[in-house]
Amino acid sequence: MTTFTVSPPPHRRSKISIKNLMWGRVAALVPISLAAIYFFGFAALGNIVASILGAVGIELVIEKAFKYELTILDGNAVYMGLLLALICPPTLPAWMIFVAAMFAVGIGKHAFGGIGSYVFHPALAAWVFLSLSWAQDMLPGSTPITSSFSDLIFETGAGYLGDVSPILVLLTGVALIAVKFIEWRIPVAYFLTTVILAVVLGDPVSYVITGTFLLGVLFIATDTVTSPVTKNGRIIYGILCGVLTVLYGYFSGNYLWGTLYALLLANAAAPYIEVNTLPKPMGGVAHE
Amino acid sequence: MSVIKLDKLPEKVILPLKQHDGIACAPLVKKGEEVIIGQKIGDCEGSDLAYIHSPYCGTVEAIEEMPSPMGKRILSVVLAPSECAESVDFVPEKDAPPSRLLEIIREAGVVEYYEKPTYLALKPGKRIDTLIMNATFPLITNAYLDSLDKVLEGFRLMLEAGGISRGAIVIRADDKESIKAFKNAKVGGKPLAVAPLIGKRHADYYFEDTDDEIIVLAGGKITYTPTMMNLLSADVMGRKIPLGYEPADVHVAVCGVKSAKAVYDAVYEGKPYLENVITVLGAVNRPGSVLVSFGTPIKDVIEACGGYKGEPGKVIVNGSRVGVALYTDEAPVSKNTTGVIVQTKDEVLRDVSSACIHCARCVDVCPMNLLPGRIAVMADQGMYEKCGEYHALSCIECGDCAAVCPAKKHLVQLIRFSKLQLLQMCAEAEPAEVTE
Repeated sequence: MTTFTVSPPPHRRSKISIKNLMWGRVAALVPISLAAIYFFGFAALGNIVASILGAVGIELVIEKAFKYELTILDGNAVYMGLLLALICPPTLPAWMIFVAAMFAVGIGKHAFGGIGSYVFHPALAAWVFLSLSWAQDMLPGSTPITSSFSDLIFETGAGYLGDVSPILVLLTGVALIAVKFIEWRIPVAYFLTTVILAVVLGDPVSYVITGTFLLGVLFIATDTVTSPVTKNGRIIYGILCGVLTVLYGYFSGNYLWGTLYALLLANAAAPYIEVNTLPKPMGGVAHE
Repeated sequence: MSVIKLDKLPEKVILPLKQHDGIACAPLVKKGEEVIIGQKIGDCEGSDLAYIHSPYCGTVEAIEEMPSPMGKRILSVVLAPSECAESVDFVPEKDAPPSRLLEIIREAGVVEYYEKPTYLALKPGKRIDTLIMNATFPLITNAYLDSLDKVLEGFRLMLEAGGISRGAIVIRADDKESIKAFKNAKVGGKPLAVAPLIGKRHADYYFEDTDDEIIVLAGGKITYTPTMMNLLSADVMGRKIPLGYEPADVHVAVCGVKSAKAVYDAVYEGKPYLENVITVLGAVNRPGSVLVSFGTPIKDVIEACGGYKGEPGKVIVNGSRVGVALYTDEAPVSKNTTGVIVQTKDEVLRDVSSACIHCARCVDVCPMNLLPGRIAVMADQGMYEKCGEYHALSCIECGDCAAVCPAKKHLVQLIRFSKLQLLQMCAEAEPAEVTE
């Protein structure tokens, strides 16, 4: 007699998994990483490798020590390490970024409860950690200005690894939106708010549209854990990111830092936005 | 489209004594007794009932708890069918007045696809102005196209029985075959109009323009499953049903294609509800629609469809989204069965759920505009009041959220659990208020 499996519904699910989503994001960052290695040479390669090793290493150590299930293969630690390397200057010593990557995953992610539970984006937290600890080393060699179209393709004034080629970040990010790995609401709201506000305030857009800004828009702001889940909340979150970015960028003149600090602040506001934008169920609510 | 018919008698027939959402029937027959086709074998008393009739001729082998298509074991009459074709005298009553029509429908034990007895659906004791026929299950609708005039006549009889002035038949916009058939069909000598449902043009818009009693609406690409009453009413009539209310509260009654045909049979041929069409899909050699008498084990239905293709892993009744996976294929087809899906061993999901990454996919797909992930987390932690604040009770359990979840969380079960707890809390709270 044949036996049948009994299980609760649904009996058919979409193939998408956390692993797909994370490795998809890693794959989307590979082109810009390659461009950075081409432009900055071994320094960039060293930083990327050190950062990923630090992130994955600390995750391995923590999960072994606390006897958790090993999750390094889900790609989240790799993604955090890679993202951190892309928002740091290539002149940063490799050991520093190694330590920062350990901070990102060890403190930023696991101390808060692991994947899905952190309040601040781990890579951002580590970037702030680096900026506070070794401020001198975190100063980029130059500030990118994308004054012509060729700068979008290949930015010779890049300060951070991610600034090398804004268009690569944009293309891969948009591709992720197209395959629905990233939801469109946050990036669209964030991008439009920033550009419109910058134009209104009279800041040149060439200062705004840099690789780091696009990384922030497409990859950091859209981190699902640190953004609200409600539909309206996501749009408000995007607008808030934009407003904060321009506020910082307008008064300090540095849109790189503006982007990253704005995102950190917006992370803190995300839960508040979420609980205040709870949707009404369809059909309304019956009187109590 | 051809409908597969069973060409041989099953070894045994299992007739569950409860085939609707309501009161279970008491058996009218004893072990060893002979029954004939159409004989009433289950009787019940109360306001919410559906009599059970035997679709087969045979001997009662046992009256005991047997597997049912709902997954549980329930009291059933087990028959050993025989070849005889003896049946009770079917008395057609063509010119019955509305009250008698309702009586006939009740006597025939007709049950809607959402498990409510049809006579109750038609006359729920509230003012009903429109009867919607949900014909959005393409395979089932197509299977009834050959006898479309009977279905339409049955639908007209239902309108008459319920005293309802307008009838709207809803079909899927991508169901070309049905649209074509409905366009060529006639009701009372007049051809039917097939109108699209676009934007704010709901059924009322078309009823204003026409004197017709019945119109056909082709809307969307949604199959409205039994739990999606709210959506059906909102999409077709533009009337949303608030939480805790039923379609009747917004003056809408809903029926299915099968019950319309059953009503025709009951009135014009005097036959009780004995058989209907179910769909058999997935890993079988000849998937399609099958005309099955109630009580036939699923095993025999699958045999009629050419048997299993490969090694079967799961037999799912009533859809892969919300259906029940059976532990045995001996379970019978009953009045609330709409389809069977067979999955092979390889297709059976073996996902392990992990932490939520708040990707909001569940929020984006939820047709009720809820936050399924959040409700599930709070249900998991036992914060049921909080689930209530997040409108857990509005959930229609369509399963869309769980299907898209990348963390493979059991969202539907968690939400369903929180709903149960909430309802229990309400039930406990109410008497306390009275004593105060």
